[in-house]
Amino acid sequence: MTKQLKLAATALGLILAAGAAQAQVTCGANTGTAATGAPILVGGIHGNAAPGDFSASTQAAAAYFACVNANGGINGRPIEYLVENDQWNPELAAQAASKLITDQGVVAMVGNGSFVEMAVNARTYQDAGIMTMASACAVSECFESPSIVSTNQGPLASTIGAAQYMVEAQESKNISCIGLAIPNVGPWSCGAMEGYMASKGLTGSSVYLNPASPDVNSGLLEAVASGADTILVNLPAGLALAFMKAAEEQGMVEGYKWASSTPLYDRSVPAALSDVWDGRMFVNAELTPWDKGGPDAINWLAVLDAYAPDAPRDTFSQSGFVSAKFFVQAMLALDPAKLDDRAAVNAAIKGIVGYESDLLCGPYYVGEADRHMPNHAGTMVVVKGDGFETVRDCYEYDSPYFAPIFENEKALGLN
Amino acid sequence: MARQANTSLVAGLSAAILAAFGLPLVLGGQWTGIFTSTACFAMAAMGAGFMYSRLGMVSLAQVALMGVGGWVTLRLNHAFSLPFETNLILAAVVTSVLGMLLAIPALRMRGLYLALVTLMVAGGLEVVFTAYQFPNGGAGFWGVGTSFAAEMRRPVLAQSDGAYLTYTLLVAMLGLLLIMAHRQTAPGRAWALIRRSEAAAIASGTNVTFYKTWAFGLSGLLAGLGGGLLAGSLGLLDASSFRASESILLFALVIVGGARFWLGAVIAAVLYRVAPGLLNNWGVDADLALIFFGAALLHAVTTAPDGIAGQITGLFRRREAKA
Repeated sequence: MTKQLKLAATALGLILAAGAAQAQVTCGANTGTAATGAPILVGGIHGNAAPGDFSASTQAAAAYFACVNANGGINGRPIEYLVENDQWNPELAAQAASKLITDQGVVAMVGNGSFVEMAVNARTYQDAGIMTMASACAVSECFESPSIVSTNQGPLASTIGAAQYMVEAQESKNISCIGLAIPNVGPWSCGAMEGYMASKGLTGSSVYLNPASPDVNSGLLEAVASGADTILVNLPAGLALAFMKAAEEQGMVEGYKWASSTPLYDRSVPAALSDVWDGRMFVNAELTPWDKGGPDAINWLAVLDAYAPDAPRDTFSQSGFVSAKFFVQAMLALDPAKLDDRAAVNAAIKGIVGYESDLLCGPYYVGEADRHMPNHAGTMVVVKGDGFETVRDCYEYDSPYFAPIFENEKALGLN
Repeated sequence: MARQANTSLVAGLSAAILAAFGLPLVLGGQWTGIFTSTACFAMAAMGAGFMYSRLGMVSLAQVALMGVGGWVTLRLNHAFSLPFETNLILAAVVTSVLGMLLAIPALRMRGLYLALVTLMVAGGLEVVFTAYQFPNGGAGFWGVGTSFAAEMRRPVLAQSDGAYLTYTLLVAMLGLLLIMAHRQTAPGRAWALIRRSEAAAIASGTNVTFYKTWAFGLSGLLAGLGGGLLAGSLGLLDASSFRASESILLFALVIVGGARFWLGAVIAAVLYRVAPGLLNNWGVDADLALIFFGAALLHAVTTAPDGIAGQITGLFRRREAKA
């Protein structure tokens, strides 16, 4: 009987919570009336196959666009969001971009998340005069291209952020970074971490796993052989969990300090870990913690609950939501007659300066630049119980890599 | 028989020319890319098909050799300012020489053992591609950088995707003509003799080692051309495209398409690249194509040893006979 009462109370609580979440949804013009005009075509590409699923960003963007469409759209016109999966395959990535840009004529790309597509398509976007507001970027091209701006930080900034925290707060002296053997992902980000460690007179090294057939045990042994006191896991969440499981089985958890870049900041991760990781795994969150509160943090969850209840709740999801929100904000400010004009939309996106969200530690901007990385400050959390606990709130990362980005910000009057 | 072969060749060339200049006019951006990839893999399929049909040799390294052609094309592009055509020809020659070198230890083997040796080669190349990646404009011998990939030059006459598809189809047509030329000259006669009886070929003075090595070289040349053209199409390549399993799949599709016919290579490449593209477009997992391929292979092995191309050719012949 008591169990039945508890179940009933839980169900009632969930219903009330869902109702409250529904009530909190705020999207675009927020008119409460569905948009009915001709659709505005917007594209998105994600990667979903081994070694990971990066579709959380496009799922969150799709949820926000659906919410915007139910609330007046862009001056009465709905957004038709066309999403393709590159399956981590360069050929499919190029074909997906051609389909969206050439065949379907999208005016912008929003919410992209992949290891592959940005590297293949960066020049295509540039040549087509289309701006990509990506959300789950993991390759150097994302942050070093004039036509891509990503809301997330990517593995380079996140890895440096995690290493910086471990050095400053956990007294790490020798860090081994575990990355994927994809030159513009693993070596790019772990290499920058090594540079950071060297700049502090400390030691950094890297171990790279084959993305097609990752051998986590040999990777772990290689990291241990490097003499590191800290192991920094810089892998997609699924693979990172497999790596941690191997460390646990070999009894290596307690002998080392552990850190991770942002993919492990996922709501499902703490439940997938055993107690031995409690208080031991420090994770860099590229956006602010989801339980921090604030209008956008609450709205993000409410929008997902209402329009994509099965979608993941992680950093890439937050990032997809923010990208979609800022895109809509820019489009609402654009002359309605120019919403189908790719050049005008591109200019409007490049005109974004100083947009703010409580999901980000700093202002978001695009601007006319040869590279973009508006998000370069993050939060550090630690696995605690069934969730995460913040151990360092918004902090700026310290690396020579960010010098040209700070110059761009100065030019835009932001820094 | 010779008349039928010539008719088939003329039909093939006419279709190729029509496709080369017609397809870019009617295809959208996505399908232009898909058909460009299809033409690249058709060249590798041609090589595997003629080796199997003319010499009974199974090569399970064709896609891996495409990777070699792609690697060399990218490396030359980023290292020197040579025109695309020069890079492509050099890549094809390097792949051809590599194909011949790899053939030498395999020449004493036949059937399953030869297939296994070529599969090991494909596996070895897969490890190299995964470990060292494909050049993207970085420094050093391997040319792999961690930052923005350098630009890949395309032929002067084929800068746009549509023009590049035309270019690729024309090169594939030249590849087909090269095979036809071999078939109708001394190598073709030697291969026919070797296939019938290696002992008889040796007794009649045919240099079996040379002609078998030459076949591997020609097959490698075609794969190298395909890989180089794929590199020009995408600008960068990934090890996942050249796994040993891809070589096995392509060979299986060559059997399904029909190894004896030029049309078989086209059908194999269409199944390999167009079928997954269609499934993707319909929102169906492209891996489902593997189930269809398995069923098609079973069908080919049990009831249609000449593959789909053989069935189509047989249909036309029966109609001609009736008329």
